Amino acid sequence: MDDLFADFLAETREMLEALGGELIAWEDDPGDRARLDAIFRFFHTVKGNCGFFDFPRLEALSHAVEDVLADVRADRRKPDSMLVSAVLGIIDRIGDMVDTFEGGSEFPEGGDQALIAALAPQGDGSNDPLRLAALNDELAQSKVPAGRRTIRLPVELLDRVMSGVSDMVLARNELARRLRETSLEASVHEPFDRLSSIIADVRDAMTRTRMQCLEGLFSSFPRLVRDLSAELDKQVQIEIDGADVELDREMIEVIRNPLTHLIRNAIDHGIEAPAARLSTGKRPVGRLCVGARQSGNQILIDIVDDGCGINEAKLVDKALAAGIVDPVTIGRMSAQDRLSLIFEPGLSTAETVTAISGRGVGMDVVRASIERVGGSIEVDSTPGQGTRLTLRVPLTLTIIPALTVSIAGQKFAIPRSAIEEIAQVETGGTEITRHGGTMLVKIRDSRLPCVVLADLLGCETDAADDDRTLIVLRLGGGELFVLAVDCLHTHEELVVKPAAPAIIATGLYAGTTLTEDGLPMLLLEVNGLAKVAGLQLDALERSARHDAHEASGAVRTTPVLLFIGLDGRRKAIPMAVVDRLDEVEIDAVETEGERMLVVVGDRILPLAGADLAELPEVSLRLFRLTDGMREIGYAIRDALGVRQIDAELLAAEADGEAEGVLLIDGEAATLISPYRLFARHAAVPVRDELPLCHLPAGDTWLQNFVRPMVEAAGYRVVEAAEAELDLAIIAQPGESGPAGARQVIRLRSSAMEAPDDPDSIYRYDHTGLLSALRQSGGRIRL
Amino acid sequence: MSALLLTVAIAGEKVALPVDHIESVNELELLVPVPRSPSHIAGLSTLRSRVLTVVDCRCALGLGISPNREAGASAAIAVHDGHAYALLLDTIHGVAEARSDPFPPSGRLQNNWADMAQGMVETDDGPLLLLEVAALIAGPPEARAA
Repeated sequence: MDDLFADFLAETREMLEALGGELIAWEDDPGDRARLDAIFRFFHTVKGNCGFFDFPRLEALSHAVEDVLADVRADRRKPDSMLVSAVLGIIDRIGDMVDTFEGGSEFPEGGDQALIAALAPQGDGSNDPLRLAALNDELAQSKVPAGRRTIRLPVELLDRVMSGVSDMVLARNELARRLRETSLEASVHEPFDRLSSIIADVRDAMTRTRMQCLEGLFSSFPRLVRDLSAELDKQVQIEIDGADVELDREMIEVIRNPLTHLIRNAIDHGIEAPAARLSTGKRPVGRLCVGARQSGNQILIDIVDDGCGINEAKLVDKALAAGIVDPVTIGRMSAQDRLSLIFEPGLSTAETVTAISGRGVGMDVVRASIERVGGSIEVDSTPGQGTRLTLRVPLTLTIIPALTVSIAGQKFAIPRSAIEEIAQVETGGTEITRHGGTMLVKIRDSRLPCVVLADLLGCETDAADDDRTLIVLRLGGGELFVLAVDCLHTHEELVVKPAAPAIIATGLYAGTTLTEDGLPMLLLEVNGLAKVAGLQLDALERSARHDAHEASGAVRTTPVLLFIGLDGRRKAIPMAVVDRLDEVEIDAVETEGERMLVVVGDRILPLAGADLAELPEVSLRLFRLTDGMREIGYAIRDALGVRQIDAELLAAEADGEAEGVLLIDGEAATLISPYRLFARHAAVPVRDELPLCHLPAGDTWLQNFVRPMVEAAGYRVVEAAEAELDLAIIAQPGESGPAGARQVIRLRSSAMEAPDDPDSIYRYDHTGLLSALRQSGGRIRL
Repeated sequence: MSALLLTVAIAGEKVALPVDHIESVNELELLVPVPRSPSHIAGLSTLRSRVLTVVDCRCALGLGISPNREAGASAAIAVHDGHAYALLLDTIHGVAEARSDPFPPSGRLQNNWADMAQGMVETDDGPLLLLEVAALIAGPPEARAA
């Protein structure tokens, strides 16, 4: 509704602007019928729209003018300057009203009647313009300041600005690269940062201008459903959810036809006639829900009906009859895969071909058009209960999250949405076998066809098979295959431009982009790769996937903690090393040379995860990580929760603390390598590993005088006798140490040597006591 | 007729390109190959943060691969159908004025010259073959079929 209203206001304003000139020209030449007709049409349109939006005052005004102009058109009245002034007055009034509506406020009461009265024929109009002028003055004072203004722009202009902004981002990157190569960087650092942040803002704003609510698209569905159900003698109620979800304008256009088609299908083939519904115990009125929601950088649109569901057996029969699959393959397919046959070209389960859904051309076209923009479609159906179709489309076309890989030193990008998982050949569980020029990769218990990117692209590379990284890619239909690349780099958001037709024609590339160092890079087209490699999608992959389904129980998973790092990136760390989550005041963070330290409780821990990132202002959340021996803090912004990932799915030749990049909840996350992290940061042994020293609780002299020295020497002081003690100190003659103590230091009160206790140390023999502490511990802090 | 022409050398031969199709002339900053692309596509380059598709004109004319498919080679930058191209040339001579409308050449043109040429034009330096930018970009007939 809001969109429609905004459209109405914008349209009205545009017409008003165009009309002012017309009206004057018409006054000059009252006989000009074309002008008169144009003016008449404007008021007629406004009147019609007002009725729709329930603006009685606006409607009354335009109605009055329409009446008068109708008289003029019928030659019942001669247009004079009085009339034109009156009409102009009303036009101004409508303009003011539109402004206030746009600002979201009410237009002040009154004044309309006088304007309408001015339209009436005047006996002698000579002094009337004055009256009208006075009236207008009065009106001007009651004007409400205009609120938010909107303008309408041609879409091409927006696109041009958007592409200009993308270019600007690229130009900035190039400039950054050049700056790094010169000595200028220090002096321009600040303004350059400012420029960067401005460009980022502009890009954000520009991306938003391309976003549109799904409302505009969804609002046409109730009518569609009404017409269709009337035509088919069915009763269907539609529920719409998520109309406020925003999507790239271009993307909305892409999904418009597929969505309409799916709704037609649902009503035509899904929802039964009322009598049939009653006989199966359902309400006679069918329900169709269309819902949209955002998930990461994807939009999910569900179309759910409570109809008869997809007849799987019939679908399979048809697929067999049409020769799309063979019986052997069918036998190995999962129920989900069998349902997905509905997307194969030339299949339809409808008994009769109707004008509405056609003859089964459509679902394949729907899938193709969704896949073309990097989306996917899934079907789920329960016989007798209904069908759910889920569309996934990326938020926008121009900025694509991608993984960069390289072969023979040249970088390529792979859309992240197509990546299922990443594996390394050398880690156990994967093996490559060659069969007559083709390759199969065994990952865990499934065999997938493998394409070596270097071979496919005909590039010379000296990387051995075993050194390659394997990327499991998912095609539009859910089929999997493996792409072997020489080297894995990083994931980034890329501004992708269309490639020249000659390059697109290879079928291998989806577009071009620039890397941060200014080199052009090609974005690979995953479906095209499989096609050019000649993979038999029908047979091989489905069966392979089938195997994977069977084996899924055997996959060893490991829990990881998913979190947002201080740098804003999604990261994961194996659960096993996380001791607990802590929060400290920001004052607790100290920088010591290159290292960062954090004080947690009574301990100082090395702080990781905070390099390069801006620290929060008040408090810092951190994980306390331990390897059993040492402890470090890892700064985070937010913990997201525990996820299970495949234990063998570790990868990447990344440097730093990253173990690799993996997909969690459909988005990439950097897996932190605890090994590298501890190798770099850990220097302080954890508290529990401090040697224990027993000091009797009741001995105040020991507690007050000696305890600080003992602690400074790296002991943890306990007062109760524990089973495992490294040391006990006794100051009372004749007393014996606790049973568990490996070593005992006896202190005597006299400086003289005590013959009955030769090993004891004089209680104020500082040097002697220290050296005894050192010797007996043997595990003094490093 | 006083159309401006860019006079260049391709495969050792002096030819003309219509200036209104050429945005600028440059030396290629770099050249990144595009594996499995048609033979006349030499690769990708960049110019001021724009990706250029580099077209090997010698190859488009069916005269074999250009020996200077590398960074530093001379190129004429042209925008065609919204895509920016760099036309890889031997050398760039300069700008000349056409002294005539294009007229059909007297003899039969060899290789792909006939597909790529609009005709002959008269200039102060004598007659030159006037090539068509769009045809060079589309490449040799076998590339168009693909």
